[in-house]
Amino acid sequence: MPHVFGASAPAILIALAICAAGRPAVAQQPGGTIIVEGAWARRAPMMGHAMPGHGAAMAKGNGAVYVTLRNPGAEPDTLLSAATDVAHTVELHETIHDAGVMRMRPLPKFAIPAGGQLAMKPGGYHLMLLGLTRELKPGETVRVTLTFEKAGRLAVEAEVR
Amino acid sequence: MSRSHVGRWALAVFLLTLPAGMAAAAGFRGGELSPPRAAPDLVLKDQDGAAFRLSRQRGQVVLLSFGYTFCPDVCPTTLAELVQARARLGEAARRVRIVFVTVDPERDTAERLREYTRAFGRAFTALTGEAAALAEARKAYGVTAEKRAVKGTAAAYLIDHSAMVHVIDAEGRVRLMFPFGTSVDDMEHDIRLLLRR
Repeated sequence: MPHVFGASAPAILIALAICAAGRPAVAQQPGGTIIVEGAWARRAPMMGHAMPGHGAAMAKGNGAVYVTLRNPGAEPDTLLSAATDVAHTVELHETIHDAGVMRMRPLPKFAIPAGGQLAMKPGGYHLMLLGLTRELKPGETVRVTLTFEKAGRLAVEAEVR
Repeated sequence: MSRSHVGRWALAVFLLTLPAGMAAAAGFRGGELSPPRAAPDLVLKDQDGAAFRLSRQRGQVVLLSFGYTFCPDVCPTTLAELVQARARLGEAARRVRIVFVTVDPERDTAERLREYTRAFGRAFTALTGEAAALAEARKAYGVTAEKRAVKGTAAAYLIDHSAMVHVIDAEGRVRLMFPFGTSVDDMEHDIRLLLRR
């Protein structure tokens, strides 16, 4: 088993090597550890051409990625951002149920409590992929890079369903 | 036990089992409309630009939802689950139609809806129309849709909306509501019951 060192570049490479779609992967730095598992993406089409006045790159199609972030450490950590080649932008969002009305709101970060987890799922927390650069078809995988405040960076493979 | 205690016990047991008893009698797991109400007609355009009338769908169970294609989470989830529930019906799936009405006519042109449905294998009918016709449809079905400019997102606007699925039987009556989060098992179960009549 490869030994994961503290330096971020080898850690990313090793994490990619051992991570298959949905299998747990670990982001680790001296300041924190996050176990990332169950990554999946919703199927999503590309639609037509960009429309003026709607944020050109954003209008072709959006997607969602869901993943569970577990923090086994004694200190809280935070997901600061995410990125992927299959979309122009990734944002952190929460869907809120408000007496039958669904509201989606962007959040600047996701807090992952010490000894706890943040589980993203449909109708709740999710990564919103804005402006897809390609269609997401079931069976494919999508690579998403997550950046944590303490645990550093990790690329995960999300299976499209 | 004294008489008053027995009486209170009996009442408590009766009240606690009453909902279960009622559900068991009806058999549905989703929210049942009792009595059923006539489904308000929808006169809109489908993704191929063809005229669509809900009142012409008699003989089919219609699973009706409202949403928009820009929505990454709630709407694709609802549609994927409806598609799954219908697929489980086997032969009977031909008698079930999934209908998705846009709350975002600005973005959701017929062309855009055509490409959206293709991602789900053309398994459902997507409807759009003039803003006024769509607003009327929402009002008829008690659907909220609020366009919001939100800070902190690259999206020009988001739309907050009701995520209920309205289940209309083959006689054109609204029979059930599936709130967001209803399991595919429960949806399949209820649709089978409706098809049995």
